[in-house]
Amino acid sequence: MRPSPSLSLLLAASAALTGHAPARADETGSEQYAGYRFNVYSEDALSAPSLGDPRRYQVYSQQFLLNMPIGNRNTLSVNATHEVMSGSSPWYVQPGPDGKPIQVLSGATIRDHRSAATAAFTHDAGGNDTTTVSATYSQERDYRSAALGAEHTLPLNAALTLGFGGSFSHDRIEPFEAMLYDRIPRAEKNTTSAFASLSLVLDRYSVVESGIQVNYQSGYLSDPYKLVSVGDALDADTRPGRRSEAAWLLRYRRAMNENAALHLDSRLAVNSWGQHSLTLAANWYQSLGDGWQLVPGLRYYSQSRARFYAPYFAQDSGPFFSSDYRLGAFGAAAANLNLRKRFGHWEFSAGAERYHASTSYALGGTALADPATVSYTRIFAGLDYHFD
Amino acid sequence: MHSNVKSPSLSPNPHLRPERVLRWLLAVIALASLAGCATQTVQPWQRGRLARWDMRWDPDPLQAAMDQHAYFSKEGTAGEIGAAGGGCGCN
Amino acid sequence: MGCPCALHLETRDESVAQAAKTAVLAECMRLDRKYSHYRDDSLVARIAASAGGAIEVDAETADLLDFAAALHAQSGGLFDITAGTLTRLWDAQNGRLPDKSEITIALAATGWERVQWRRPVLRLGVPGMRLDLGGIVKEYAADRCAKLCRDIHAEAGVVDLGGDLALIGPHRDGTAWIVGIKAPRPSGQAAARIELPRGGLATSGDYERALIVDGRRYSHIVDPRSGEPVQGFASVSVVADSCLVAGAAATLAMLMGTQRGGAYLRDLGLPHLTIRDDGSIDGDIVRVD
Repeated sequence: MRPSPSLSLLLAASAALTGHAPARADETGSEQYAGYRFNVYSEDALSAPSLGDPRRYQVYSQQFLLNMPIGNRNTLSVNATHEVMSGSSPWYVQPGPDGKPIQVLSGATIRDHRSAATAAFTHDAGGNDTTTVSATYSQERDYRSAALGAEHTLPLNAALTLGFGGSFSHDRIEPFEAMLYDRIPRAEKNTTSAFASLSLVLDRYSVVESGIQVNYQSGYLSDPYKLVSVGDALDADTRPGRRSEAAWLLRYRRAMNENAALHLDSRLAVNSWGQHSLTLAANWYQSLGDGWQLVPGLRYYSQSRARFYAPYFAQDSGPFFSSDYRLGAFGAAAANLNLRKRFGHWEFSAGAERYHASTSYALGGTALADPATVSYTRIFAGLDYHFD
Repeated sequence: MHSNVKSPSLSPNPHLRPERVLRWLLAVIALASLAGCATQTVQPWQRGRLARWDMRWDPDPLQAAMDQHAYFSKEGTAGEIGAAGGGCGCN
Repeated sequence: MGCPCALHLETRDESVAQAAKTAVLAECMRLDRKYSHYRDDSLVARIAASAGGAIEVDAETADLLDFAAALHAQSGGLFDITAGTLTRLWDAQNGRLPDKSEITIALAATGWERVQWRRPVLRLGVPGMRLDLGGIVKEYAADRCAKLCRDIHAEAGVVDLGGDLALIGPHRDGTAWIVGIKAPRPSGQAAARIELPRGGLATSGDYERALIVDGRRYSHIVDPRSGEPVQGFASVSVVADSCLVAGAAATLAMLMGTQRGGAYLRDLGLPHLTIRDDGSIDGDIVRVD
């Protein structure tokens, strides 16, 4: 809660004697630290019937973060990412001799770089009253994106905090070899997003947060690199020019004892393309003593298909069609394990995740077998430096 | 191409119909707001256990960002509480 | 400091505990030597000796004086560190009540309005004027000791200077320390037990230094306008982000009497606990049972 005027006077008068204001219990970002991560993302080779190079995507990425308190009430956080991507990508699906879909992958290995940077400035007025503004820019050879966001948290009473915010991003794509492959030479897309959330301190050991997020996209939302098998022809991936989505998120954190905490996260979403999805994740934070932390976790995801999705179309039932597996019905299960060790100012972390998506994991099941659902392994190692 | 091959059958998923999902959504939101009245108030100075690093919403922001990026690229719906970040042309 | 002092520390390192103990002891002795109301060789004594003239003070003292000046302004003159001569009259060690003429003389040598404070030069306008920094220094000392402990990485503990507490840091597992608020009448029992997750707890009360004559208690906290001890709460305890602010709030509430003091505490919004002469307890501090 914001200090009353009489308290503010006392606090101001005592500032010279008390020096730096002591840390508050709910403060999250105002310690000065820097972080580095190296990540490797490697998709399994496609095992389903396919044509083209079955070795899929591989991404090496590096992240840098610098979190700087400015005075007692402000924090500037800057982070940068650089990625190198290579590998073949799903291009289109064609029906095989028995009607089973066959994934055709892009023969040429795509090698691309992506750089992104975000700066966020937070002003903390005290007692969970914070305002953050952020700007992000991301660039690849064929894709550029700029975004601005703002959010505010407001304590409603000693246990309840309201959060809300919005963001806007403008993306532009200029596909490679547009002339050669008859792709659109250039296109743009805008995304507007807003959210509201309530976080509640349940008791001394647990907190819960419930939030709603809505977003609206307009512009070119198709994938210029993908084709769809429609009858005997191959047409360009054609999706509607608009998409709106609403999601409900729920997060729960509980201190189980002095050495362990449980994190539960869930997300339920629907969009105007006919898709709904469910995400469930659980993580267990275990202190092993001596600054060691082990964090195992599980995640389950399930989504339903977009109205205009099919691996291939026997006839033109247009106006929209796509065979991008990300618009199909599938489920994914993932397991991860992270390790952290703190020694003095340094903190070392490392972890791995194994993710497996399949149409058979979808809630409610589906009769469609999509050949391109992905399985991947992610590994990372990181180093943080805490300045205080 | 075989023109007499049917498109694979597309039966709608009965359990996740939009109307049902929406009703469930509203019920739980209502519940969440009621919950505020029933729980005990924890004064700011009582939050000892809640001040721990492993009790934050995102103890490791860099990792959370990377996780979200991976899931966003590979799944059809995505997002977290908070402002949407920049996009990417992930394939 | 003139009171029982304790340092509670939680650490796995013996040398850190020793270093903390040494640092805290040294700091308490330093501040006592500098600001003691009773010593003849303290800075306070030298300032008193300079009354009528001017004296230049160091940065730490200047900060304390600035704070006192702000409190004087905020309390409408109730909080006044120039009441040293007055408080000496009502000191329990005298064993007797002062008479009217003594009070009148002391009142003439009291009043921050009679002081010229232009940093770093202090001019006590009237000879015989004395500063009494009780109500600030002990709480300031607690905060300082806590900071010194944190500086040498003794990060879990509480500094307790006669009931004025400054938190060094929570227990090593992150939970808050549970501390007791003393009861105004000596009983050996805490009036209340609360959690202290940060900052400090200060208690202003008459239990330790009250003058007792003919069975009546006279608080050592004197109203600088009337020259008489305040009659209000038996004790006030406040929790704030620093022991200094907590102590200032508690002292102000004591000076204001039960009516205005209670309203002031509620307006401040800090967790507080008040105990009256009849033993009744009020306030919004959440107690741990």
